[in-house]
Amino acid sequence: MQDITIPATAETPEVKFLFSEHQLSLVGESYPENAMSFYAPLRAGLQSYLAQVSEQAPVEVHFSLKYFNSSSTKLLRSLISLLNDAAQSGKRITAYWYHDPEDDMMLEFGQDLQDEFGALHLNVTPFEPA
Amino acid sequence: MNLTSFSDFCAQAVKEGMLFYYTGEYSKNVIGAMSDTLRHRLDSTDLSGPARRKIFSTFVEMSQNVMHYVDPDHDGIKIGALAVGHTGGKYYVMCGNPVRVEYVERVKEKVEPLRTMTVEEIKSAYRAQLRNEEHEQQDQISKGAGLGFLTVARDASEPIEYQIVYRSERQEFAEFYLRAAI
Repeated sequence: MQDITIPATAETPEVKFLFSEHQLSLVGESYPENAMSFYAPLRAGLQSYLAQVSEQAPVEVHFSLKYFNSSSTKLLRSLISLLNDAAQSGKRITAYWYHDPEDDMMLEFGQDLQDEFGALHLNVTPFEPA
Repeated sequence: MNLTSFSDFCAQAVKEGMLFYYTGEYSKNVIGAMSDTLRHRLDSTDLSGPARRKIFSTFVEMSQNVMHYVDPDHDGIKIGALAVGHTGGKYYVMCGNPVRVEYVERVKEKVEPLRTMTVEEIKSAYRAQLRNEEHEQQDQISKGAGLGFLTVARDASEPIEYQIVYRSERQEFAEFYLRAAI
């Protein structure tokens, strides 16, 4: 399956969906005006990858987003939801949700995802200090 | 505007702690330029990371709201106003845009309840809307996740304020103004 790599822009994160290495990451900020057009292909790619990845392959997914707008929020949640479904069906997935250690609201956002998607091994963790 | 009015206007803006003010055509480029300006201004302050995020987030939600919902005029131009400032120890973000008269009630229904909700109630409404998978079917007019006003209310440190202004020259439109303090 073809990897998806997209460089960061001011409004969209760097995407490295290295399916061949089972290493996926979104890094940067996400506030495009049309979040759907940015995330729909990522969601489609992730969905077909998760359908075919072996249950033996350890998959790692990193969400390292300093800021995201409201329309990105819903689409990020839908990516987590796909990962959760795959985990529930026996795939080995570890996800990391990074947040500003000073920002309680962003910590809570990560914890909400943890609560909602219980099948997924989701680590909510502060950003590494720069 | 003559120079005297302009100098009064500038003096008033300084007095009200305005960092920047824009009114006119809204486009992707204009929003991009404003975002960069605001980022630079915020980076030169000693505000905490979360405070910067909240101010920037409020600006993004408001400006994208204008882009999504304002009807273009006969020249295809979307008109809106936006201001960011700092007064009484708090930052404020305000926007204004025309709204079709028939949508005024709809906007009020979305904003008014947020004014009286507690922080916890806003958070739980936000959570519920984030998990609402039927939003697109339920609200055909909405172009986003239905989280815009909730995000603004969540990031504000006091109840958001709004005003609807009717001007006689354009009877089919009202003006909607929104203010959030952070």
